[in-house]
Amino acid sequence: MSKCKKCEAPGTIVLRKKDLYCDSCFLNNINHKFRSVIGKNKILSKNENILLCLSGGTASTTLMDMVHYGISLDSHKKLRVNPYALHIIGPGNEDNVQVANSVIKSCKHYGFDLYIIHIAEYVHDCTSLIKNVNAMPETDSISSNTFNEILNGMPPTAQNDFILKVKQNLYVKCAKELSCKFIFTAETTTTLAINLLSNLTVGRGSQVQNDIGFCDKRDKEVTILRPMKEISKEELNQYISIKKIMPVHNCNMLDNSLQSVISTFVTDLQENFQSTVSSVCKTADKIGVHDDSKYDSRCVLCKNVFNNSGSKISALEATVYSRLVSSKKREDNNEFHDNSLIEQTSLSMFPYINKNLCYGCSRIYSEMTLCDLPDVVKVHLQMSDKSK
Amino acid sequence: MPISCKTECGRNAVLKRPKTGDALCKECFYSAFESEIHYTIIKGELFNRGDSVAVAASGGKDSTVLAHILKTLNERYDYGLNLMLLSIDEGITGYRDDSLETVKQNRDDYKMPLKILSYKELYGWTMDEIVAQIGRKNNCTFCGVFRRQALDRGAAMLGVKCIATGHNADDIAETVLMNVLRGDIARLKRCTAIVTGSEGTIPRVKPLKYTYEKEIVMYAHYKKLVYFSTECVFAPNAYRGHARALLKDMEKIRPACIMDIIYSGETMTIKDEVSLPAQRVCVRCNFVSSQEVCKACVLLEGLNKGLPKLGIGKSSKAKKMLDEYNLKQTESSGLKEAISDLNDTVSSCIAKAKTCKSGLCSEENNVNKNGSINKNVNKCNSNKCCIGQCISKENSQIQKSISNSKVNSLLQQYGLDDTSTDNEQLKLVTNPHENGHEDVLENSDDEQSHLDEDNTCSASCGRMGSLQIGF
Ligand SMILES: [Zn+2]
Ligand SMILES: [Zn+2]
Ligand SMILES: [Zn+2]
Repeated sequence: MSKCKKCEAPGTIVLRKKDLYCDSCFLNNINHKFRSVIGKNKILSKNENILLCLSGGTASTTLMDMVHYGISLDSHKKLRVNPYALHIIGPGNEDNVQVANSVIKSCKHYGFDLYIIHIAEYVHDCTSLIKNVNAMPETDSISSNTFNEILNGMPPTAQNDFILKVKQNLYVKCAKELSCKFIFTAETTTTLAINLLSNLTVGRGSQVQNDIGFCDKRDKEVTILRPMKEISKEELNQYISIKKIMPVHNCNMLDNSLQSVISTFVTDLQENFQSTVSSVCKTADKIGVHDDSKYDSRCVLCKNVFNNSGSKISALEATVYSRLVSSKKREDNNEFHDNSLIEQTSLSMFPYINKNLCYGCSRIYSEMTLCDLPDVVKVHLQMSDKSK
Repeated sequence: MPISCKTECGRNAVLKRPKTGDALCKECFYSAFESEIHYTIIKGELFNRGDSVAVAASGGKDSTVLAHILKTLNERYDYGLNLMLLSIDEGITGYRDDSLETVKQNRDDYKMPLKILSYKELYGWTMDEIVAQIGRKNNCTFCGVFRRQALDRGAAMLGVKCIATGHNADDIAETVLMNVLRGDIARLKRCTAIVTGSEGTIPRVKPLKYTYEKEIVMYAHYKKLVYFSTECVFAPNAYRGHARALLKDMEKIRPACIMDIIYSGETMTIKDEVSLPAQRVCVRCNFVSSQEVCKACVLLEGLNKGLPKLGIGKSSKAKKMLDEYNLKQTESSGLKEAISDLNDTVSSCIAKAKTCKSGLCSEENNVNKNGSINKNVNKCNSNKCCIGQCISKENSQIQKSISNSKVNSLLQQYGLDDTSTDNEQLKLVTNPHENGHEDVLENSDDEQSHLDEDNTCSASCGRMGSLQIGF
């Protein structure tokens, strides 16, 4: 039998179809990747409260395992954080209870306090989300229905995107309630590559750093960190099989969406061209955000700052104009439709754009069936109207 | 039951716009299509009154539609532009003649002056001669690098203010994805710009930047514009191939994603600390380069000295080869004189050329990446590049029928008027020029790579494949 790349022990794990490791070198390597991402960014101070976001899936279950391992070390290697765990139930109804129960079980196993909320809580903006610890929350069927109606009124691509934004809002809110200044989410290299391409494809190119980078500082008080960003899906699968972790399978991504097409695409790449997936993520590392600090106004849905292309014409104007000229007959000697008509078309195509919503969120909003609108987002829109 | 035109013009719709999904009659489609490009030109301030503008013409659908539209709009809105066509003749027997015939047809139809520049006059070599010298292995490198610069040189000769190229929205969206896949941050940054070109160079503008490829095909089809189209039987470079496949799949789900991707590119910022290769001017030929001596000059020197591999691999390798070469030269001074003649315009650059920072130009690297990816995905055999293949009549016949079926399927998908569609289909079969989807292949690499000399085949293989001028 061939030997492990790092030591003399027989190799048990093949990565990238060529690199052979033994179990213990492999685990060391993964833990090292996890710790070095946190370490080299030097952002956590000692005994910081952190909120672990757990979906019950492979990645977040592994994240919990690695944090647990880290804090159980003695010596200077100990990971000095106080972890809390959060699980968001839904959307949808199938398997939710089963997933939540399994998250409860594993948190008990690791000895972490777990808080569970429903995603539909997003509908109520002002209530406190956290109720009791280590127990299933009561189901509020009214908000559940409202939330599901809103979702069902959107095409799958918008739904996938919307759910991500809602969860991110809830993470931040819960973190504040639990006095956690940091949130750990469990995106792997693979997930981040998918998210990067998805972001680009829904017009969120300017938000890449917040959504894909290690550190998301959109919120002034709470920072989201992605400590698994250097770990691939393949490594994750090896990790759970060695550690005998049994995640509940949960993939919330809707089919027939841009995200699902991208996911298939990236999975194929992963299979055949490992290096491409990591080069996608390296690209993400070089993409920045507009200097946030100067801006007060942010998108009410995704909390990103507004931006414009800085050029004389962008795809936004071109899209609006396109709609205009293919729905109205041009007056014979008019060079263009007049500006008020362009303005009007812009507002109907991109509602609230650059006032309350960013380009991507405005697209989502425009794709919601209008009759379902009132509650959720409108509450938020009105709130920000008032605050002006 | 006929559907009436969305604009309430009173006519029946004949097609559903691929870009917006609106059902329009022919007249309103023309009007929308043309008006959008006019809007782009005016809003983007692409031209100034009195400018001379070279339309980069390959004879393919994008550049043909571009020439037609610019002529139409220039007259309709009195831009006051002096338009001309600029074509590059790579010197490929039996192939280029056909597409140049199409360009000449454009010249006559649109009454624009046409300048055809050949590799032979610019560089002293035709592609045929280059292939004879270097074999088929690296000819993509030569052709791609030379073509980029040929356009700039042609434009300088014509004394124009800018070059208009036929890049369409699909090309640009695809290029954004491709640059993400290959991690090319410098090109990612500039590939969505509507005007490109650094100081001291003739800018290139993209009036079709927001125009969907499908609509270009439909416009050309309904307007019965004559264009030439041969799609290469080989695939473009691997990254572009991946990006294209992904984009096509996504467009089916949400056609607006093309515009959204462009918007993403336009609004994306690159972190300050990321250093992008500085652009400068080649000390030898004065055209834009990322290094002291541009790739074209390096390749040319190699050809002229009988060291064709010079410049294909690493710069350091090139230097070594040249040193060895010079050593030999001191031993035979007769030859030396002859060479120094040749070197009049091309001297001593190689020694100064810097090593590539990006690491992209390592030959092994490229062969490895492209070779293996191609094998798996595209069935493209990178050793056999496209020259011989595309010339073959059989292949272009096959391609024509494939392309025809593409137009037909477009019409089936977006055409609304059944009877007229049937007629068009009949006509299409008998008209070998009316094909869909061709010069996207070579089209867009050119723009992002004409400033980037570090590339070998990965940037130009696709274009080489279709053997068209890369606009
Ligand atoms: Zn937003
Ligand atoms: Zn009409
Ligand atoms: Zn040069």
